[in-house]
Order: sequence, then structure tokens, then C-alpha cells
Amino acid sequence: MLNKRNIIDIIYQVITYLAASVGVIALSMIIFFVFSNGLKLLNFGLLVNDYHAEFYNGGIDDPIFTFSHRPISLDDKVFYSQKWGIGLVDSKDREGNPIIIIEYISGDSPLLEIYDKNNEESKEIIGIDKGFLVSKISYYDKNTSLTMYGAESMINDIESTNEIREIVFSSLGGGIRGSIITTLYLISITIIIALPIGISTAIYLNEFSSKNRLTSLLRSLIETLTGVPSIIFGLLGLAVFVPLTIRFSEATSANIVSGSLTLSVILLPIIIKSTEESLKVVPDSFRSASLALGANHTQTTLKVVLPSAFPGIMTGTLLAIGRIIGESAALIFAIGTAVKDDISIFGKSTTLSVHIWSLMKDEPANIELASTIAIVILLIVLTLNIIVKLISKRFIKEF
Amino acid sequence: MNSIFEIDNLNLHYDDFQALKDINIRIEKNKVTALIGPSGCGKSTFLRCLNRMNDLIDSCKITGEIEFKEENIYTSNYDVISLRTKVGMVFQKPNPFPMSIYDNVAYGPRCQGIKDKNILDEIVATSLKSSALYEEVRDRIKESALSLSGGQQQRLCIARAIAMEPEVILMDEPTSALDPIATLRIEELMNELKKKYTIIIVTHSMHQAARISDNTAFFLMGELIEFDKTNKIFTTPKNQKTEDYITGRFG
Repeated sequence: MLNKRNIIDIIYQVITYLAASVGVIALSMIIFFVFSNGLKLLNFGLLVNDYHAEFYNGGIDDPIFTFSHRPISLDDKVFYSQKWGIGLVDSKDREGNPIIIIEYISGDSPLLEIYDKNNEESKEIIGIDKGFLVSKISYYDKNTSLTMYGAESMINDIESTNEIREIVFSSLGGGIRGSIITTLYLISITIIIALPIGISTAIYLNEFSSKNRLTSLLRSLIETLTGVPSIIFGLLGLAVFVPLTIRFSEATSANIVSGSLTLSVILLPIIIKSTEESLKVVPDSFRSASLALGANHTQTTLKVVLPSAFPGIMTGTLLAIGRIIGESAALIFAIGTAVKDDISIFGKSTTLSVHIWSLMKDEPANIELASTIAIVILLIVLTLNIIVKLISKRFIKEF
Repeated sequence: MNSIFEIDNLNLHYDDFQALKDINIRIEKNKVTALIGPSGCGKSTFLRCLNRMNDLIDSCKITGEIEFKEENIYTSNYDVISLRTKVGMVFQKPNPFPMSIYDNVAYGPRCQGIKDKNILDEIVATSLKSSALYEEVRDRIKESALSLSGGQQQRLCIARAIAMEPEVILMDEPTSALDPIATLRIEELMNELKKKYTIIIVTHSMHQAARISDNTAFFLMGELIEFDKTNKIFTTPKNQKTEDYITGRFG
């Protein structure tokens, strides 16, 4: 029989289950949305390609035709020109526009001799390759073939001509290699700056400082810092760290270092707080045992307290890294929004999160690519999580 | 009387509360001295004065003199670190570090700068032997100290203290967290140890005090009521309060 107490118990349980499932549902919805939108663009090329396509205007004089046969392995969708030894295929780029991709080029194709027309004197050979985009081929004797007419018509056009005036092609852009590298740089530099300072501060506050007005003031200041919106830190970065890095390095604008410094300031209170929490749970009996054995304060802290707090500090660091990867508002100012392919730590570039932001602010927003980057971010966070878990586990196992 | 600690007019305050009132006592060398009394009577506080562990408490103020080997330890230029290497301490709850058994025992010597592995091996082996733990742990000396039982952990803590080759070992209710068999082993161990070391032990068990100690001090409300040979205290106490306490009329 159900009495009143049991009913209340059941109601409480149902509430807890519901609350827990809201969290699970929210998480699965995010993952479902991101994966359903972004999964089709996710491939290895995306991760290693440049974002900005490189355009070439190629010219070719006196081509020598070799008439190599169509390779049997070539897919049926590929249109092949025997004369020029090239196979083209229709495709779509990361924004969904139609493109024509070079799927195959034979080893003796005359097109391998194409030189850079923008550099008329040196006639440097471009070296076209599989994966390049052909956007336009123009001739002396007929109409230009364009991407919009499709690969088949382009093949028909070149098969029936002996001379090409100009061939415009480009590399396949839209890759996020630059943003990935920037993100990794940003993580490393920020952690290198913020972790030692943060941990030292936490050790000072928890182990060495006496309880007086100054330290309690310091503590409350740090707590206040945690609540400051990150865009305000971004302004700080723009006002302080960007000019500072420009003054003392080769940087000319917002750069990775100024971004890292700004992020370090954001992370400091988080690292201090989490380190202090993990130092607090180290039993005082360890400290007194160590001191009673004639160890001094520093030895006690380094040999007993810090190792015991290590797993907690690692978790704090992981949260900090998550914050670095996820931060966008502050970085829009402190590192800039320019998507770059050549990354240097004093140069302009942007992180994956800001990359998402700049994709979404365009009209129309590129939700697919943004979702794909979101998947990459999730994967990076997951990987880091696993690594940290393994390190902590190994560390605990040693005891 | 060959005394190692001479305490004169010791007063101790925690902020406004006076925890120790005008204590005068001589602790004999190579004897076991038991400190008994009801909870909150100041006996643990007193014990912690002897190796200056009370320094860690900000609100703690001490006046009076504690002379260890005829030197006042509460002068500002006294070397606390070296005092603590000479006056070891074993706590109420076994508190081995989360390290291997070996590292636990070698911790103190390492902190003093001993790095030579042979010397450390030697120290660890002798300390474990003196604390009657060696036979039980010799095969797993590199394993975690936390895998030991409570009684073994407490003996490890004693080994850790012995490794510093102290002259005095302070024990703050070392058996209160242990079962009777483990307690018995620790008591046997103390009987062994008093040949080499001076032992000062805080205990709640009157039986334990009677069994193991040579001298007994009875504390009440921060005052030292009576200090004498153990058999005198337990058979013919001079003070009525002592008699009331040991016969179980209060406390």
C-alpha cells in the first residue's frame, strides 16, 4: 500500500529523473544537430587544406598530344579527354556551388606543361594535379567553356580543339588547417603562460599566505574576475596586449600571442580556483605528518601536497583548455577574425570558434561548414578529455 | 633524575581561551610518559608544544619555557626543523602519505638531503625492522602504503618517525583508531622502543597507561593535576581528582 511518504519519495525520484533527462536530451540534440549538418563535409581534406583557394591563370604553347587511353579504373562519372589526357568530374564545393574537379591526369598529358601566365617572363610551370578546380577554359577559335556548363561540355570543347588560350584553375579552398593550427598554438601558449602563474598563486593563497585582509581581498578580487564577461577581457586584450605585442615584436596587428595573453587573464581565476579547491581537499594530516618529519614548508608543498592535488589540477587544466577552445567573444578583438593559412604566432589568424562565428555572420550563413568545424572542436575536446583521464589514472595507479 | 624535557610555567592561549595553565613538568629520558585526562583537558595541545606543531595554528599564543636538552625551544632563532627531526611524532589516525611503503619511510631522510640509495635502503630496512613491520611488507615494499591495514599503517608511521633517528617520539593517541590486536602489537612495540627512545604518549585508555608507561601525568581543564610514577598514580594518588578520574567517577 502506498502511504504519503512513499508517494513523496516517488515524486522526488521522478523529478530527479526528469531533470537528468533534460540534460541528456539537450546534449544529444546538440550532437544530433551538429552531426546531421556537418558530417557530410567532414573528410581528411577539410582538415589539411588551405581555406583560401589559390587561383592560377595557366597558358600553354604548342601542346604535344600523346593520346593516352582512358584508364579502366576511372569511374563512369568522370569525363575523359584522350587528346589532353585529363579526366574531369562534376562536384560541389563546401558552400554547395557547382565545381569541376580534375579527377585524373595522365603522366604524359600536355597540360602538365602549363605555365603561369601572370609571370610571363619566367614561364614557370605550375604543376597542376589531381584535386584542382577548373573554373574556365578559353580558346582562340570558340566560346569559353565555363563551370556552369558542366564537365561533359568542357571535355567536349577541349577534345575538339588544338589550342588553348587560357585555362583558369584553382586549388580547392575551404579547408580549416589554419584555424586548427591557430587553435593548437593558442592552447599551448595560453597554458604555458597561465598554468604556472595560476598554480603558484593558488599555492601561495592556500599554503603560504596567512589569513589577513590582503589575502581575503585578493581572493574576492579573483572571484570577481571569474564573473566578468569575456568580451570585456577582449577589450582589455585590444587595449593592452595588442599594442604591447606590436611594440615588442614583429607583430603589426592582433596576433596569436595577444590572444593567448588575453585568454591567460581569463583563465587565471579559473585555474586558481580549481587548483585551490584541489589543494583544500588534501588532508591536513599529510601536511602535519610531513612537517613533523622535519620537512620544511616548501618540501611539504612540493612532495606531498601537490602530488595529492595533481588529478584535481589536471581536471582544472582540462576545463581551462575547453574554455580556450570555446572562447570566441574575447578573441574577436584579441586575435582578430581573419581566416589565414600561413600561421605564425605574431601574425593574424583565427581559431576554430571564431572561424565558426565568421562563417555564421555572412549572408547566407554557411551552417554546414560551421557544423563540421563544431564536430572537429568536439573531437578535439573529447581527445583531450581522454588524454587527461589517462594521465590522471596512471598517476593515481602509481600509489 | 635525567630529564630530556623541562617545562616551566607553560601557558597556552587560543585567542581568549586558556588551554594550558601554568604547567611545570620534567620528562625523563628513555622512559614512557603517559598523559591522561578527559577530552579537552589540554594533553594533546601540550604534546604538540613539545615539537612546536602548535606553530601552525595562528591563534595560538605560548608563554613560559620548554627546554629540550637544556635549550629553550621557544626562542625566535631556535631551529624548528632540526627540533622536529629530533622529536618525532605519531598521530591519532594513521596518516601514511599516498606513496609506496619505501618512499614513506625514506621521506624524512630525503627531506634532510640524503640521496644515496644504499644509505636510504639501509635506513628503510632498519626502521621497518625496529617497528616490527619488516617481515610483513618485505615483498611489497614498493607497493602503496594505503594497501596496508590500519595497524600496519600505524606501525609504518612509527617506522617513518624512527627513520629520522629521533630522541623523543610523541604519540597522540596512536591506538585509538585500531582494533585490540593491532593495539597490542603497538604496545609491544613501544616496550621495545623505550630502550632507545623517550616516548611521550597521550592516551584515553587508563589500562594502556598502566600497562606501558613508567610515569603518568594527569591533566584536567588545562592544569597538570598530578605527575608521578605510574604505579603510584594508579594505586595511591595524592589528589582526590586523580583518584576520581582513574576510578571512573567522572571523565
